[in-house]
Amino acid sequence: MADQRAGVIHDLGYRHYDGPRDGVATIARTLFVTGLRHAFGLGRSGRSKILPFLLLGIAVVPAAVVVGVVTFLPVSELPLTYAGYTNQIQLVVSLFAAAQAPVLFSRDLRHRSIVLYLARPLPAHVLALTRWFSLTTALLVFMLLPALVLYVGGLLAGLDVGGQTVDLLKAVALLVLVAAMVAGITGFISSVSLRRGFAVVGSIVALVVVPGVVTAVQAIASEEGADEVGVAAGLASPWSLNSGLADAWGAGVTVFTPPTGAWVAAYVVVALLVAALGLAAIVARFLRVGSQ
Amino acid sequence: MSAVPASVVVVTVTQGAEPTVISTVGLTKHYGHVHALHDLDVEVGEGVTGLVGANGAGKSTLIKILLGLLEPTAGSARVLGHDIATAGEEIRRLVGYMPEHDCLPPDVSASEFVVHMARMSGLGRSAARERSADVLRHVGLDEERYRPMGGYSTGMKQRAKLAQALVHDPRLVFLDEPTNGLDPAARTDMLGLVRRIGSDFGIAVLVTSHLLGELEQVSDHVVVLDAGHLLRSSATGDFLEQTGRLLVEVIGGTEERDRFGEALAAAGLTCRPRGTTIAIEPPPAHLAVHDVVRDTAADLGLGLMRLQPDRRHLEDVFLDDAAPARGGARG
Repeated sequence: MADQRAGVIHDLGYRHYDGPRDGVATIARTLFVTGLRHAFGLGRSGRSKILPFLLLGIAVVPAAVVVGVVTFLPVSELPLTYAGYTNQIQLVVSLFAAAQAPVLFSRDLRHRSIVLYLARPLPAHVLALTRWFSLTTALLVFMLLPALVLYVGGLLAGLDVGGQTVDLLKAVALLVLVAAMVAGITGFISSVSLRRGFAVVGSIVALVVVPGVVTAVQAIASEEGADEVGVAAGLASPWSLNSGLADAWGAGVTVFTPPTGAWVAAYVVVALLVAALGLAAIVARFLRVGSQ
Repeated sequence: MSAVPASVVVVTVTQGAEPTVISTVGLTKHYGHVHALHDLDVEVGEGVTGLVGANGAGKSTLIKILLGLLEPTAGSARVLGHDIATAGEEIRRLVGYMPEHDCLPPDVSASEFVVHMARMSGLGRSAARERSADVLRHVGLDEERYRPMGGYSTGMKQRAKLAQALVHDPRLVFLDEPTNGLDPAARTDMLGLVRRIGSDFGIAVLVTSHLLGELEQVSDHVVVLDAGHLLRSSATGDFLEQTGRLLVEVIGGTEERDRFGEALAAAGLTCRPRGTTIAIEPPPAHLAVHDVVRDTAADLGLGLMRLQPDRRHLEDVFLDDAAPARGGARG
């Protein structure tokens, strides 16, 4: 004790560790939580928190305003549905995905710290899967938060519980699908183009430019009476798949050329394929880098 | 090599025993037409083992195969008693790896990064913190550990890389060119650290280098690879056996050296110049070679600067053995 007060540091020599060691599942969970936190800049530098929280604010504030309006005006339903709200903020969601996917997918590959992960118990495919799951969950949280603000606010304002809950659950199902797709697409782009700038631009092209073009094609197709062309074009982007399905499902979104009949099934299949292929491509990419 | 199948029970190591840490049988790796490793049979035990070879000799490939990051084309290997083909995960739990290249994200501190890597090896939160602090102290990263690693010198980066390889208290560490890019002082420090890991920490070490001289200082055992072939594998001492030659050097330049050499030859010694020194071949038994050297120098009025036995260096082994091995025969 006397030594400690005097500030003497004893060299204890090397000490071995014989405590417990977690299995793969626990390690993957730790990595998942770390990834989810990093997607929002938590546990990273102060500067890294600015963009995600700014975007989150932009996504949530309108929902709070809507809740305020609903509370003070005598209305029996929300001015827009939960799925419709997500559709309105899709640009913000796209920017969030484009900006944060490189945090989870480019960093380890660019700085080659991936090798240090791969020299540890987690297999490469579990690593890729965990990263993808972190981003999917982050996107889900990002989109679900304003929906929950609307839901809770709406219920407090006395809206019908049953109707609102059904609406919300429809929206959640669509959100899960779109989050999985967007995470797969931006994750893959970020794991290939390791420069952050290229990854962001690539993701914005895939999530903003392409859907913009699709919407334009659908508008023209609808105008010209060639609905089939518009419906087919809707397969080309995650957001048009999402809004097309939302329209077909009566979730409160209207598109120029809604899918009908077998097209609805096609939309579901393509959406699942996009998510699965994105994920598979990420896994393949991690395995390839791991063996270099 | 016949003892390979018997080396299954290495998980509980008793002090004093000589367990096999790594053993490979016929390990081969081809990339298309490039043969990175060819029919390699190697046994590595406890302590520090140096893995030597020129760039491209297959050192990194061997480590990656042992870690389960690369599939061998043929052959098998066991690490700490586990088969690389079936127990990669278990091996990676018990092994630490310090890669040759840069692998540190610049925007995190060494402290945070090493804690994270400890958790990725399965340590709990508090154990990870405690071990990181310990290991960072051992590798000699003090206050710098709290700064982002992007601002580190090469020496500090190498220390951080070493810390992440040791943080989960592995049974074996692979250190791929740990002295790469270090200045002489930092190089000496790093080699001292490697030595300590093998002796004080009791962790088996496989350390690669293309500089043979470095491994003389730290390893108990040396494995020499050349173009994917095993050139030689033996205790470091065997490499450095004395040759019976004497090295002498006198004050002055080549003129003095030659004058001295000629006088020694006249006195009945076989000698040839080697750099600024003269190498004297093992003399006939009746000749008191040390006296001859002393007297000759005195007669010529030359100042004798050095008189020492000539030891072989790892380089000599490499040069001697490399030529036949490339022809197909292995040493």
